[in-house]
Amino acid sequence: MRLPNPRKIAALALLTAAALIIYIAEAQIPPLIAVPGVKLGLSNVIVLTALYLYGRKEAAAVLALKVSLGSFLSGQPSGFLYSAVGGALCLFVMLALKRAASEKQLWAVSAFGAIAFNMGQLAVAAAVMGSDRLLWYAPVLAISGVITGVFTGVLAQLVLPRLRKALDGGGK
Amino acid sequence: MKSKWLALILALILAASAAALLLAPKNGSRARIYKDGELFCIIDLSGVSEPYTVEVGGGNIVRVERGRIRMESADCPDRLCVNQGWSSSSAKPIVCLPNRVMIIVDGGSGGEPDAVSR
Repeated sequence: MRLPNPRKIAALALLTAAALIIYIAEAQIPPLIAVPGVKLGLSNVIVLTALYLYGRKEAAAVLALKVSLGSFLSGQPSGFLYSAVGGALCLFVMLALKRAASEKQLWAVSAFGAIAFNMGQLAVAAAVMGSDRLLWYAPVLAISGVITGVFTGVLAQLVLPRLRKALDGGGK
Repeated sequence: MKSKWLALILALILAASAAALLLAPKNGSRARIYKDGELFCIIDLSGVSEPYTVEVGGGNIVRVERGRIRMESADCPDRLCVNQGWSSSSAKPIVCLPNRVMIIVDGGSGGEPDAVSR
C-alpha cells in the first residue's frame, strides 16, 4: 500500500473542517422558505472543490465526514439520514456528470447534484412519514435545487483556482 | 458537453416544476391529518363555524378555521411546520418531519370555495 501524501491529508482535513464550519454556521440561519429540505447547502462548495482538486474518493470522504459530524455537531442528529441519502445521491450524480462537463461547467454539475440531494432527502422523508403524498414537494425542491445549486456551483468555480494556487504542488 | 445543453436541461426542469405547481388543484375543503403515517382525523373545513384547535400526538397543536388549517404550535426543533402558515389547498401540504405529522388538504365534498355544507 502506498503511503498517503501528508500534504494531501492536511489539505483534506482543512477542507473537512471548512465544510463543517460552513454547515454549522448555515444551520444557525433561520430558513427563508418554510419547506423542509430547502436550504442553501453552502458546504457543498467544499465537496465540489474536493472533487475537482483531488477526486471522487477524497470528495466522498469529505462528504461522509461532513454529514456524519455535521448532523451531530449542529445538534440535529435526526437530520443525518436525510443528508446521508441526499449526499450520496448528490455525489453519485456529480461524479457521473464530471466526466461530461468541464471545470467551467461546475455550476451545472452543482445544480444537478443539488437536485439529486433534494430528491434523495424527499425520498427519505416520504419513507419516514410513510406517505407518498409528500411528493407534492418535489417541484418546490427541484426549483430550489436548481437555484441553490447554481449559486454554490458558481462559488466553487471561484474558489477552486484560488485554492489550487494556495495548495500549489501539494495537490498532486 | 456544451454549456447550453446543460442550461437547457436545467431550464426544462425549472419549467416543468413551475408548471406542476401552477397546475396543481387548488382550494380543497377536506383536511386530513396524519400521524406516524396513519390517518389521525378528517376535517371538513367548509363546515367549520367556530375556529378550534386539535392536539395531534401530544406535540402538535393544529388550528382549524373555516376553509383553512394551520399548525399553531409544535415541540419540534425546527418549527418549519408552524412557519408554513395556513393551508387551504393541496398545493401546500403542511409537514412536521421530526414529529411525523402531516396535514393534507384536498377536494373532498363541497370543493367549491363558497359551498356551505352541513
